[in-house]
Amino acid sequence: MLQDLDRLGPVLAVLVAAGLIVLADLVVPRRREKWLAGVALLGLAASAAWMVQLIARDRQASYFSDSMALDDFTIFFTFLFIGVAGAVLLASLEYVERFGSHKGEFFALVLVATAGMMLLAGSRDLVAIFVALELTSITQFILAGFLRDDRGSEAAIKYLLLGAISSAVVLYGMAFLFGIAGTTRLVATDGGASIAGAIAAGDSGIRSALLVSMVFLAAGFGFKMSIVPFQMWTPDVYQGSPTPVAALLSVGSKAAAFAVVLRVFFEGFGADTFVGEDWKMMFAVLAAVSMTVGNVMALRQTNVRRLLGYSSIAQAGNFLVGLAAISSTSDGTALGASGVVFFIATYAFTNLGAFFAVMAIGNRTGSDEIEDYAGIARRSPLAALVLTICLLSLTGLPPTAGFWAKMYIFNAGMRADLVWLVMIAVLNTVVSAFYYLGLARQMYRGDGEPGEDLRPALTTQAVLVAAAAGVCVFFVYPIPLIEAAQRAVHAFA
Amino acid sequence: MIDDAGVVVAFWVIAVSTVVCALMVAAVRNLVHAVLFLALTFVGVAGIYIVLAADFVALVQVLIYAGAVGVLMTFAIMLTPAADRRNSETIFQAPAAVLAGLVLAIVTFVAYDTEWRISGRDAFPATAASLGEAFLKPYVVPFEVVSVLLMTAMIGAIVLTREEGDDV
Amino acid sequence: MSSVVLASVSLENVLVIGALLFSIGLYVSLSKRNAVGILMGVELMLNAVNVTFLAFSRYVESPRPLDGQVFAMFVIAIAAAEAAVALALAVAVYRHRETVNIDEIDLLRW
Repeated sequence: MLQDLDRLGPVLAVLVAAGLIVLADLVVPRRREKWLAGVALLGLAASAAWMVQLIARDRQASYFSDSMALDDFTIFFTFLFIGVAGAVLLASLEYVERFGSHKGEFFALVLVATAGMMLLAGSRDLVAIFVALELTSITQFILAGFLRDDRGSEAAIKYLLLGAISSAVVLYGMAFLFGIAGTTRLVATDGGASIAGAIAAGDSGIRSALLVSMVFLAAGFGFKMSIVPFQMWTPDVYQGSPTPVAALLSVGSKAAAFAVVLRVFFEGFGADTFVGEDWKMMFAVLAAVSMTVGNVMALRQTNVRRLLGYSSIAQAGNFLVGLAAISSTSDGTALGASGVVFFIATYAFTNLGAFFAVMAIGNRTGSDEIEDYAGIARRSPLAALVLTICLLSLTGLPPTAGFWAKMYIFNAGMRADLVWLVMIAVLNTVVSAFYYLGLARQMYRGDGEPGEDLRPALTTQAVLVAAAAGVCVFFVYPIPLIEAAQRAVHAFA
Repeated sequence: MIDDAGVVVAFWVIAVSTVVCALMVAAVRNLVHAVLFLALTFVGVAGIYIVLAADFVALVQVLIYAGAVGVLMTFAIMLTPAADRRNSETIFQAPAAVLAGLVLAIVTFVAYDTEWRISGRDAFPATAASLGEAFLKPYVVPFEVVSVLLMTAMIGAIVLTREEGDDV
Repeated sequence: MSSVVLASVSLENVLVIGALLFSIGLYVSLSKRNAVGILMGVELMLNAVNVTFLAFSRYVESPRPLDGQVFAMFVIAIAAAEAAVALALAVAVYRHRETVNIDEIDLLRW
């Protein structure tokens, strides 16, 4: 029991920090509330440190009666979420002024959402997955409405209602899985009943129930991954919610959703089982539709945040190429699955950088309209440069990490004989170049008003530089990240 | 297998009236009436739970769903007095009906097509003790996470509804 | 034949009742304009899910058959939390717009 609690330590550290912030908020005077972000960052640091020493002591195991797993997959995503949360907190220091006396609650809720994502990546039991999913979602519904203005509240209530419907759909899928296997465990290390075991047994009498639960699960998780046709909320929420929250949603929440999909489908349903081909095909179709719809809609956008919303739908389509290409190759490092994980990691740097740049510009100009970005490079050279690098990475052009991510995942697609899907993806990349590079060109157009200097706050500058540096460094030297991604999915082999 | 004559009759009476109440939630034109039918549906579902030998869940269903959630929804309607009380539909009515019909047809097909591994076990005896044990042994992590979740929802509800200018 | 069917309650019967409730809930949640109306649809769907869980828990071969009931309890607890946040947001939206009809709050497109 204590050993199991020890393995949960990284999550507990984050939750304890959140609790401390809520309590400290009662006594800290209002103008010093910002310093509570320090407590949040300390909590994240403690969580990372705990994880490091868990690895050092070799504590990887399935724990709490197989409801949680501490494996390389969990470890990879835990560090990813800690990094994302840290960056979001640092970058939001200027933005939080708009939250009035609720800065403390904001920091605490970001931590709770992060803890939910960490739990999600580490859960291998349907009950644990559902509860972690709801912890993440409900916290994000609240965060989305945190400004309490017109737009924020509207975006939040739409997000909540659609999210609640999607949760119910996921649950219906889970109920059928429970009916098939008689248990909620995805895998059983003690050799008992498990969902993976029931599916691997390959009894054709359960095929129709499996397919229907697969569709319900994909539909429900599709909402969290924001893939077509479950994407309706994405542009609204990215536009209406506070920018740091949009950044957290677009990276953290999406990554967590893909982590849980990898767990359920790769570890639970399995790649070589008699339904393996079915779910791969389903994701291939969803990938093609998501990319195409996302990119075509993005072309017509006039607001940067809506554009990033549609772009994130299209990017989710790219991730799905990896899911569709999953295969258990002989060396056990499934190319498709590691492609998804590698792509998510590079996307995290890229999209955080893009959102923070948009936030830095928006904080000063008060506008997110593309036409107001004309000539912004002269007024805010750093933010414009970082945004340009990130846009290049989203397109998949060198010298950025996005280039390797796309190469890797297209290669996985080709190896899995999904030539048609890779063709569609390449065409989509060309389409996406129009709006990504169009935005970049807009910023460097000469005819913008010279206007006053729009230098962002020091912390924002630091995060911007870090994100851009990450994007460039992983172009020059992507091997460690690729190896980490391969080790992460090796946990399923 | 449930084949006690009284239980079978009770099941069908409860099931049919529950579904009728659920249909009324969709059909009635006044939002307040819809909430009342919803509460009746919740009570009916609790009846189905009892047939399925889930006594404790049925109790919780009546307390939390019929009680708390019903009251919460009535509050939501009463706290928005100037809002539209008609229980009307958007332009998505037809597609929604088609989709719902499709789901019903597919799930019904699956329910009869699948070879479920039926066990011949008797109804559970009183379940409260075993449920408590399950919460604190195999499901202890989700159980604790739910407590965090309820706390978060509470903080969130306070932040979201506090009037501008109120201060701690 | 019908007398044989009605002489007992089978798993399939309960699953179909669940499916009926679920599709009514789905219809309500996708077609209603009022936020509270949509939420009612969601609650119907969640109840349908719980009926399905309890049916499997009662009938299906399982090492820990009560797990279905445990799952249902988690669903109930979380549904209550979700409803509370939804109410808070509905009040927040109402404060700005005097409506909770989601196709009228159109600053952002639905």
